[in-house]
Amino acid sequence: MYSVAEIDVEICSATKCRLCTQFCPEGNTILYDEVRGTAYVAVDRCKGCEICVGICDDLAKHHAIKMLPIDQVKDGFEISKVGFLRTLVEPE
Amino acid sequence: MSLKTIQAAPGFQDYLPKEYQDLLEDGPFFQQRKVSELGSFKEALEEHPMCAGCAMTLFIRLCYIGFPSLEHTVICGTAGCGRLAITQGAVPFVYGNYGDTNAVATGLKRGLEIRFKDQPKDVVVMAGDGGLADIGFHAVMHSWFRKEKFTTIMLDNEVYGNTGGQDSGMTQKGMVMKMAPTGKKFEKMDMLGLAKTAGVAYTARIAPTNPTRVANTVRKAVLIAREVGPTFIQAYTSCNIEYAIPTPKVMDDARDVEKDRYGFQEYFSDDAKTYWEESEKERKRLRRAAKK
Repeated sequence: MYSVAEIDVEICSATKCRLCTQFCPEGNTILYDEVRGTAYVAVDRCKGCEICVGICDDLAKHHAIKMLPIDQVKDGFEISKVGFLRTLVEPE
Repeated sequence: MSLKTIQAAPGFQDYLPKEYQDLLEDGPFFQQRKVSELGSFKEALEEHPMCAGCAMTLFIRLCYIGFPSLEHTVICGTAGCGRLAITQGAVPFVYGNYGDTNAVATGLKRGLEIRFKDQPKDVVVMAGDGGLADIGFHAVMHSWFRKEKFTTIMLDNEVYGNTGGQDSGMTQKGMVMKMAPTGKKFEKMDMLGLAKTAGVAYTARIAPTNPTRVANTVRKAVLIAREVGPTFIQAYTSCNIEYAIPTPKVMDDARDVEKDRYGFQEYFSDDAKTYWEESEKERKRLRRAAKK
């Protein structure tokens, strides 16, 4: 079992700091939803290094990212299945 | 080399891999993306097999943002950790034999200049401390002496990380590694000093603690190399495996090392300084004109 980063949408969308997207060593892994104003994780790409947790806790001081075992992630976004999306909000 | 060469024939576009289609629709080509936009566009760097939490990957990712025209860039690398990620980017990668990178880049740059007279093509060497300071040292130095117009970026993890932890010329004196049990015997090589002596137009020492600064420095180095002469960036990209840094502490380590001995430092030759100041003035003028 391994853990991946899980971003609390409520906390993140209140801040819009985007720091985690800049410090993740993986490309196309922490993405940013312009409509909801929050970062979100492509769970199939996250290697669980926790750099984003350190950035969010220590640098941004928002405490919006937690590590979650992969089998407890509900409706995780998988970029390899759906490709790059500008937002996860379904068009009406 | 250009988006034109990777654009799909209309009838076949739907059958291409999703990643490919995303790059064409939301990719970083033909526009200067900013670090603050990360996450809002499809990045050129794809999934890669480098270790979790590797600072070198972060640096490489930021380099792709810094390149002034990604679609007209060729990267030249060699064996080592870095190429594991660099080869997964949507930018042409040329694999020089170990030690040959700067010689290969010389040929590439000269050839591209003849073939594309009206379109500047950027050649960037991105390799590790072993590939550039040890095994590739002669080719690096001679490309600098010859004033070849391309950028050399050293991903300095201060160890041969890919082969189990041998000390390199860039390892700190006294450092005990898995394959250097009695400790490194000599001082870390002063590559920045050597670059300056060899007449490099622009050198920078940087750690990936400030993503915007990394992208700006890379952009500056590539633009100066295009017009003035060779440029060199030495980047601290820790090896969390060989130096046993827990992955959540990788950025703390980068900050500590930056504070201790790897602070941001840049040097311009007189020509590079004049060119950069002029081009900055021109960019400001264009920005003001665009606002009006």
